[in-house]
Amino acid sequence: MKKGFVILSGMVLASSLALAACGSDEAAQNAAAPSGAESVSSGDAGSGAEAQPAAQTTADAIQASDMSKLPSVAQQRTDTIIVGLTDPSGAFTPYFHQSGYDGNVSSLLYQSLLTVDDQGLPVGNLAESYEVSDDEKTYTFHLPKDAVFSDGSPLTAEDVAFTWTILHDKAYDGDSQIPELGIVGGADYKAGKADSVSGIKVIDPQTVSVTLENVDASAILQLGGDVLSKAYYGKDYKFGELEYIKKLHENPLGNGPYKLEKFIPGQEVRMIANDKYAKGKPATEHFIYKTSEGDAWQFVETGEIDYSSFAATQENLDKIKGLGFLSTVPYTPSTYGYLTLNHEHKQLQDKAVRQALTYGLDRQSIYVDANQGAGEVANIPTSPISWSYTTENINPYAYDPDKANQLLDEAGWVAGSDGIREKDGQKLTIHYLGRKSPDTDVFIALAEENYKAIGVDFQPEVLADFNALVSKVEGGDYDMAAFSTAMMTDPSEGITQFIDGEVLGYDNPEVTKLNKEALAVTDTAKRKEIYQKLYEVVNDDLPVIFTNYRKIVYAYNGRIENVTVSPFTGLADGLSEWTLK
Amino acid sequence: MSSVSGAAAPGRGAKTAVKSSMWRQSVRLLLKNKLAIAGLVIVVLMFLACFIGPMFSPYADNKTNMRIMNRAPNLQHWLGTDKLGRDVLTRVLLAGRISLTVGLASMVLSVTLGTLLGALSGFFRGVVDQVIMRVADLLLTIPSLPLLFIFGALLSDWKVPPENRMYIVMLILSLVNWPSMARMIRGQMLSLREREFMQATTVLGLNNKRKLFHHLLPNLIPLIIVIATLNIGGAILSESVLSFFGLGVTAPTPTWGNMIDAANNLIDFQERPWLWMPPGLSIFITVIAINIFGDGLRDVLDPKQKR
Amino acid sequence: MGAYLSKRLSYIMIILAAASLMIFCLYAMTPGDFISSNIKLSAERKAELREIYGLNRPVLERYWTWLTHALRGDLGYSLAQQRPVLALFNTYIWNSFLLAVVSTFFTWVIAVIVGVVAAYRQYSWFDTLVMIVIFGAMSIPSFFIGLFLIKIFAVDLHLLPPGGITTTGSNAVGWAHVQEVIKHMTLPVAVMTLLGTGSLTRYFRSNMIDVIRQDYIRTARAKGVKESKVLFGHALRNAMLPAITLVGFELPALFGGSLIIEKIFNWPGIGQLYIQSFGQRDYPLLMGFTMLIAILTVIGTLLSDVLYRIADPRVKL
Repeated sequence: MKKGFVILSGMVLASSLALAACGSDEAAQNAAAPSGAESVSSGDAGSGAEAQPAAQTTADAIQASDMSKLPSVAQQRTDTIIVGLTDPSGAFTPYFHQSGYDGNVSSLLYQSLLTVDDQGLPVGNLAESYEVSDDEKTYTFHLPKDAVFSDGSPLTAEDVAFTWTILHDKAYDGDSQIPELGIVGGADYKAGKADSVSGIKVIDPQTVSVTLENVDASAILQLGGDVLSKAYYGKDYKFGELEYIKKLHENPLGNGPYKLEKFIPGQEVRMIANDKYAKGKPATEHFIYKTSEGDAWQFVETGEIDYSSFAATQENLDKIKGLGFLSTVPYTPSTYGYLTLNHEHKQLQDKAVRQALTYGLDRQSIYVDANQGAGEVANIPTSPISWSYTTENINPYAYDPDKANQLLDEAGWVAGSDGIREKDGQKLTIHYLGRKSPDTDVFIALAEENYKAIGVDFQPEVLADFNALVSKVEGGDYDMAAFSTAMMTDPSEGITQFIDGEVLGYDNPEVTKLNKEALAVTDTAKRKEIYQKLYEVVNDDLPVIFTNYRKIVYAYNGRIENVTVSPFTGLADGLSEWTLK
Repeated sequence: MSSVSGAAAPGRGAKTAVKSSMWRQSVRLLLKNKLAIAGLVIVVLMFLACFIGPMFSPYADNKTNMRIMNRAPNLQHWLGTDKLGRDVLTRVLLAGRISLTVGLASMVLSVTLGTLLGALSGFFRGVVDQVIMRVADLLLTIPSLPLLFIFGALLSDWKVPPENRMYIVMLILSLVNWPSMARMIRGQMLSLREREFMQATTVLGLNNKRKLFHHLLPNLIPLIIVIATLNIGGAILSESVLSFFGLGVTAPTPTWGNMIDAANNLIDFQERPWLWMPPGLSIFITVIAINIFGDGLRDVLDPKQKR
Repeated sequence: MGAYLSKRLSYIMIILAAASLMIFCLYAMTPGDFISSNIKLSAERKAELREIYGLNRPVLERYWTWLTHALRGDLGYSLAQQRPVLALFNTYIWNSFLLAVVSTFFTWVIAVIVGVVAAYRQYSWFDTLVMIVIFGAMSIPSFFIGLFLIKIFAVDLHLLPPGGITTTGSNAVGWAHVQEVIKHMTLPVAVMTLLGTGSLTRYFRSNMIDVIRQDYIRTARAKGVKESKVLFGHALRNAMLPAITLVGFELPALFGGSLIIEKIFNWPGIGQLYIQSFGQRDYPLLMGFTMLIAILTVIGTLLSDVLYRIADPRVKL
């Protein structure tokens, strides 16, 4: 009988997908950003009491006010920190995992050569220093003498060279961009024509250099990644055969602050302090990533996890304050949200129309107010925490339907009898694609009203998941589609989509030229100047409609001290300092 | 079928008279069942409220108003406002239009198909049974998740307007989902066939049509009603699922399911009951009322119950 | 019976062959693939990866590759998890099975008892109350009731854990471990039982009402057999007969996992794994899981048909 109620069972299946949806495309986004944020639960909007939308809640750090409210479950843990992570799958080898969540785990098991400061600029980490040659094509890394993996075996330049080389294998199926940097000899190796990558040179056990075919300022961050032990991961390596790596996933050998103790699929990743960690053994003996699907609040409130991220909405902040035992770190991820436009469609080829669509969209209401302050309006393709960020000479496109109407009038779009503008017999319609989520519902509700007011026929369509959205967009059947970038470390990553044809039909020689210039120098001050120019151009030309930056708070148990989190690399760099009171 | 004997039919053809008096008797019995009538009245009221109610609401345009978001119930907004400042009462009523339509329509579709195929299979047995049941076996193995995604993509490529997609998908779903219902009906049919009264019909030399429509189907009705009314709750909820796949109603059009779904987090649970109580209670009451009515109907139409 | 069985078994083979092809095509046709959701990859790299995974080949060729491997018992590696599909099943399915078995047990016990009593006292206040509770339970979305119970029992009252199968970081073994698991499964089992009992209870009630009116029950009563014996001895046994066929339907449900419940209660089961894999279009895992369920479904229907024949010898198939 139970099985008889077919609609019901179909529905059970389906609505669980609804629940899983946020998880899975978070995974998709996170997969794109190996050191992404831990699961962010986007608490829904709305502060019950006051009408005033909390636009100004730039989350200042909250301090735990009443530790006596701490649940006993958490109190009993004296040497363990537990952090929620949506879905680690067990493939903990850097460069080889397919899920960003596994990247979160491996970032604690391995220490990268370089890391970035709080502006996203590279600084030494495992590598003591690095230098760039005069022609800016060769990078040389210097390793410390006593570097070791967690099993005590030495970590040398050979291991670094091995890591870069194996990524050039033709069977490599991860998403590292190192093989695409254009390392000298890389293509030959991949084609099987050479036994080694000629551009990678081991100079002495502590020194390794790599030469690129062209100057690429973004390369340094790619090269400064994790190091695989040649003795361990290279033991069975034959060119073209990487299957054996899969067997090593569950027993990673790294040099990070923690070692893998035990992986319990679907439940937890237990880690134990690595006493051979270069920066000293971490202060807390055990660290656990707990697989936490569902509403993160239930685990934070009951003390099951010590640390989680939340959208910085007023209600979430109020709740954190109310609980009393939580402290927070405010955080802006280095991403930006945008509405991609299809420039192959005639109505969108006109810059005036694109500007009108931006002026005519109340982004403040959609992304900031409806989100209770957990967002900020974006106008350029970089994040406010990046060194390249600027507001100088940048048009904020504040909501202005009159201006939008005026631009459309001037561009020759005249309102027809139904109130929808027309030109040359073509109606001004915008076919919008979004992915099913509460945010999309908010966007559609408000955008429909906004665009109606300026005579644009807004036709929303909602796709079931991120994969379906991407596939529909690849088909080209849309005018506008909502996306967010992956986590960016170098500002060039925010520009790529305007150059490589990802924004369909967009080709602006000036953008291409400035982008090339910005990558052809490695000096940050010079690059900043070029990006300033580039952002002004893009801000005026609007290849896409820039929408928003997200605002998040990390809430953590007040008894943890010395909590630092990097907006670019997550927990990895600061974790060894976290101390339990 | 003891009730037949009670039919004294002066003047007219015995057959129609038997039928009409059967119906009259059923209605009379039903009217005596106060609980069932209460259920019916509630369902009717629910329909009226949803289809007529919004006409009297000043907020029927479903417009957003960011200045009054998430207000608790007050004099202007009897059930408060949601996170975009829309009137919850109006939205619940608007939502009911879609949820009720979809719930009933999809129930009727799948029950009809399932009953028909199940009855055929159980009645004729042999080759017909083998064909229908093996096709059913095959359909049972097909996962509905990819199916929904594919249809979503197809309907999108064919430019079917989003507001119509849900109905098409409902149709497709019942086309795919009949097997389990058909199996149950078939099982009942197989067992009924072997009962004494059916042996009697064979002895009497009745033809297939008469056996099927006059003796077997009436005996199936109680089961069908139970299945159908039980199905309704699921069907109303399934609408929210379809919306989720981008196959159902798109925002900002509300449905009961997607209204609950939107408030499905701990903070709304704790702080804002007016967001989820109204749609939740609407489903709750409707489902209970329909089922109670269905139950009454079942008892009245059950041939074995009349003495 | 033997001839019937061998005929059915040969049908099963044909059905499974057809189903595997259909299911493979369904997954292949689902918009998006394993590569497309990684927004970090360039178009060239995506093409390269599709080549590596063979995703650019014709569907039939891919199906043939899959089939020949599957027939040898090799379901391949999960693309996303990088582990053998069978190993993953072994890790996750038993967690789901545990929930399903326990909740099915409670569901049946409660449904039988409540159904019988409600039928015996048809139209009594007890019957009406049961009816309302049942319908009420069925009208609440499971995701909603799940979170609601978590809020009450875990967050507000601190009586039960909010999710998972064991306490995080716990090293409990033996009896302590069992206790821990029982505590964690209380809420999910409660919700699953609540949602499942409704329809089954209705089914039993309906069957019992049928049976109680049969002549042999009256005969038993007339003979002066004790009422409880009439009810639970004679009547229930006959009312249970049609229910036996349901056992077959339960088979796939026992191993299929509960998608929503596992998600809400953070239960590491196969249902959650399936949903995640679907979002990623992890074809080997999806295919393996769906075929497993398909096989169980077909066996389940066969089982229920055979049981039906045994239970009611009059029925000819």
